[in-house]
Amino acid sequence: MNPVLLIVIPLGFAFFIPLLGFISRKAEKFIPSLALLINIILSLSLLPSVMRKPIIVLLGGFPPPFCINLFVGPVGVIFSLIIAIVGFLVSIYAWSYIGGDGKREEKYHMLYLLLLAGATGVVLTGDIFNLFVFYEILCISSYALVAYLGEKAGVESASKYLIQGSVGSTLILIAIGLLYGQFGTLNMADIAQNINTINPLHLFIPLVLLLTGLGVEAAIFPLNAWLPDAHSSAPSTISAILSGIAIKIGIYAMARVVFTIFGAYQILLFLILLGVITLLVGELSAFSQNNIKRMLAYSSIGQMGLILLALSIGTVEGISSGLFQIFTHAFSKSLLFLAAGYMIYQAGSLKISSLEGMGKKMPLSSLAFSIGAFSLIGLPPFMGFGSKFMIIRSLLEKGNSLFTTLAGIVLVGTVIEGAYFFKVIQRLYFKETAESEGGVKEAPVGALLPMIFLVVLIISIGVYPKMITGILNSCAGELLNRLEYIKAVFGG
Amino acid sequence: MNLEILLSIAFGGAFLTYIFGKISRRLRDFFSVFISLILTIFLSYFYGKFEVVPYFSFLGIPLILRINTLSWFFAITIQLITTFSVIFSLSYMKEKERLDFYYFMMLLVNAGMLGIVLAADLLSFYIFWEIMSWSAFLLISYNRGTALEAGMKYIVMSIIGSMCMLVAMISLYTNYGTLNISQISSQISSASSGYILFIFILLLVAFGIKNATWPFHTWLPPAHSEAPSPFSAVLSGILVRMGMYGFLIIFYVILGLKLFLNLGKGLCSFHYILAWVGAINIVIPTFIAMFQNDSKRLLAWHGIGQGGYMVLGIAIGTSLGIVGGIFHIVNHTSYIALLFLVVGAIEYRTKGVRDLNSLGGLIKKMPITFLGALVGACGLIGVPLTNGFVSKWLIYKTLILKGYSFLAFAALIGTWGTILSLYKFIHNIFLGQLPEKYKDIEKAPFSMQFPIIILSLIIILFGILPGIPLKVVNSIGVSFGFKSLDVNIWGIISETGILNLVNIFTAILVSLIFFWIIFRSGAERVKILQDNSYAAGSYIPKDKYNYTVEFYQPLFRMIKPYFRDFIDEFYSKIVETGRRLSDRIRKVYCGDLGYYVTYIVLFLAILIAIKLWGKIW
Repeated sequence: MNPVLLIVIPLGFAFFIPLLGFISRKAEKFIPSLALLINIILSLSLLPSVMRKPIIVLLGGFPPPFCINLFVGPVGVIFSLIIAIVGFLVSIYAWSYIGGDGKREEKYHMLYLLLLAGATGVVLTGDIFNLFVFYEILCISSYALVAYLGEKAGVESASKYLIQGSVGSTLILIAIGLLYGQFGTLNMADIAQNINTINPLHLFIPLVLLLTGLGVEAAIFPLNAWLPDAHSSAPSTISAILSGIAIKIGIYAMARVVFTIFGAYQILLFLILLGVITLLVGELSAFSQNNIKRMLAYSSIGQMGLILLALSIGTVEGISSGLFQIFTHAFSKSLLFLAAGYMIYQAGSLKISSLEGMGKKMPLSSLAFSIGAFSLIGLPPFMGFGSKFMIIRSLLEKGNSLFTTLAGIVLVGTVIEGAYFFKVIQRLYFKETAESEGGVKEAPVGALLPMIFLVVLIISIGVYPKMITGILNSCAGELLNRLEYIKAVFGG
Repeated sequence: MNLEILLSIAFGGAFLTYIFGKISRRLRDFFSVFISLILTIFLSYFYGKFEVVPYFSFLGIPLILRINTLSWFFAITIQLITTFSVIFSLSYMKEKERLDFYYFMMLLVNAGMLGIVLAADLLSFYIFWEIMSWSAFLLISYNRGTALEAGMKYIVMSIIGSMCMLVAMISLYTNYGTLNISQISSQISSASSGYILFIFILLLVAFGIKNATWPFHTWLPPAHSEAPSPFSAVLSGILVRMGMYGFLIIFYVILGLKLFLNLGKGLCSFHYILAWVGAINIVIPTFIAMFQNDSKRLLAWHGIGQGGYMVLGIAIGTSLGIVGGIFHIVNHTSYIALLFLVVGAIEYRTKGVRDLNSLGGLIKKMPITFLGALVGACGLIGVPLTNGFVSKWLIYKTLILKGYSFLAFAALIGTWGTILSLYKFIHNIFLGQLPEKYKDIEKAPFSMQFPIIILSLIIILFGILPGIPLKVVNSIGVSFGFKSLDVNIWGIISETGILNLVNIFTAILVSLIFFWIIFRSGAERVKILQDNSYAAGSYIPKDKYNYTVEFYQPLFRMIKPYFRDFIDEFYSKIVETGRRLSDRIRKVYCGDLGYYVTYIVLFLAILIAIKLWGKIW
């Protein structure tokens, strides 16, 4: 099976959606789910072979470095798997959540698929300019989707997001230009191969530009100012995708740049520091927040800090724990946004206080929300416990007092996180509401199914983390072993 | 039959109870009692057995269960208390809502606690610990209203504790490559004393928070008073004592007797400091308890205070002390649970009144409950012929033998405080005059009386024949490496004297009979009504006879300026600072796009500046 299909299917289906609209308007919302289901199956079937040996796909038939190549290694496949799973579940949720007021929503579904196609492209490509192109597809469709509802807040935050995102993209483009000028190639493996032939000072500028540019999407402090606005004013499905997928793509690209292309291990300490600051800023900002989606958005910032921190530990354990945390966060946070979505819809307000008593009116959504929250805090037997355990372990394994302190700080973040999540859970279950008249119903079955599926995933991976740790270890190996990467692309 | 099945029944039973609750209320009620009883029977089968069962593997770390005397002893206590409070809940919780959830959580807490004491490795310990912590949180918040704040306080402190435990655990794992408690204990003796201290302090914080040891006690009074009463009994009786279990595990299993006693030197020796912490824990909370006007809060403060006796007992590190300390744990469980159930029964009949100032005279209306309260109070004070006496006697004896006169004095003062506050408790609820509105109150239903009666009988039984539990406790002490005590069914023979409770019992019984005969043979009995009392010649409204409000008022006025929980204020200040910091930090996201873009550019500029001037990388 050709891994190109992973990109081609969502991309092709995306353009197929408006055409389908001429035949049947009802069918268009099922297209994203279909495309992503195919992607899940494809990624799963690719996984075993990729674990043994990465697949290099040459586009155009020229040998690398002259062509654009896809590098389908464990990292790429695992990321496209996360993208496809979360995307698939969210798209099912969107069947009932999006539209419903008679308007056509083919734009939404098309952009949604484009976003995920872009994300899949970024994680699979082996060419830095190609990465940029897919990255832009992802970003532009997410700008549009944030503004999808057409409300004032949405449009405003989308335009803010657009401007900041464009500044970031510009920086990336400049960096790519500089790299091309220095190396005469855009192939990542080729650049990586020749990275030591260039004066480090000249390399530094593109590296910094790339980090800053990608950091905007990856929500690294202080580049993440777009995130609370965009996440809170987008439709909940889009918040789920932005938090669950989009920002992870930023961090993936950062990891690729730092580990594979530049092999810049000397800046890891700085990145760790950045991660800690991001973590604390995010968690503290979420702490006294009274808008539920904003709270979740700030919590995403905190989690991105944690992921950056874990990845920057730079050991196999560290990176795999960071990837594990990416998994945890993708599933848990999208579950939280999905669960909150219908609660907000029913309550008619984003205020946390308006969700009081939802535990009774919407028991399943509230349960899903609680499980997502428990998992993010890192309580056993949920998924977050495994990842937090691994992160702390890899920090302490460094055996140095700096890292022990860092572990302490991470846990302070967890305490804050626990405080605000438990507060929301209390309000869901243990607060009586004044108006308890009818009208508030449980979310429809189509929306509950993806939530239940995510809950099952969170619990089963929480109990059997072995399911994914093996894969994560080989992912970490791929990121750390640059020579293997280069060798794989150039065929020995 | 093995431990996995036991735990699966405990957890599966909890889930099934929830599911059955959706089908029928009766089935759920029946099933929750059934599960508790099954587990009790199952556990009693494990008496004296040793078993080690690896049952799972998490991230390549084997998870192991084991049972030995220590864990059996704790497990059976947990299970009995849960069984009693589940039975008590049958009528107490009847008219409340969301009972499926309530029973589910109750049994989940129980299963979590069983898991804790059966865990043979720190990871399973931690996992069960967390399950217990968050399910307890949900139960504490159950009553809504002010319970929410209590729940928050509890869970935040509990998370802090768990995080300390997590760091300690993972640090041990990275150093020794194992989390098996017995393997760690065999390797830790080679560690540097600094490292041991690091682990020790982390775990001390973790368990101290759960055990509500001063200065980590602040979560306990609100949590205990706001939780539903049957759960308060579990919470105060045994859940909090999981901290004690943790202490025992670090002191005597992981570190071992020798290492523990040699930690630190002279006056700074660690177990001596801990003993002092225990003493502070006895004195301050029991006196705070005196001035409480909420019956459950009064008991809650005693929960902290009695924890002090246990810490004192096990920190001294002699065989008498450890036996006293561990025995005190189970004694405390029995009488504090009993007292909370009594308060629950009162609450149930008076429609939720806990205010000591508005109760009174219930002795005739609820005689069985009164007897329960009396026995419980005697146990808590440590009156002879109740189990509390035996354990306190052992602890005093230890302190006197060791020559720690100040510590002994502190323990004694604590007992005075206990007497005073429990007198207030009993008087304000049961004695004095019955308020007009409680004229038609009925006695507690049978399902409430049953656990009260059984617990009272246990207290008295263990008070007269302390040898039954002491034998087990003594063998726990022996397994920690202490020398065996000479324990008999009727008491204990120590190097300084014999404690023979059957003799005391006989003596008291004989003298009671003697006085009874004298009184019977005396003049005829005259019955005097309660309101037929001296009133200085003037008419006093009927409701004002023998009616107490604000007990110990003069004493309270005296110490009022110092009567503040400084530690609680300190913690609140930290939280407040955190909130203010949070608001300030959020200002970074001011909403002005100009700033946002500036952040990006500045970030880039700073990165380059660091490179050019700082040469950090």
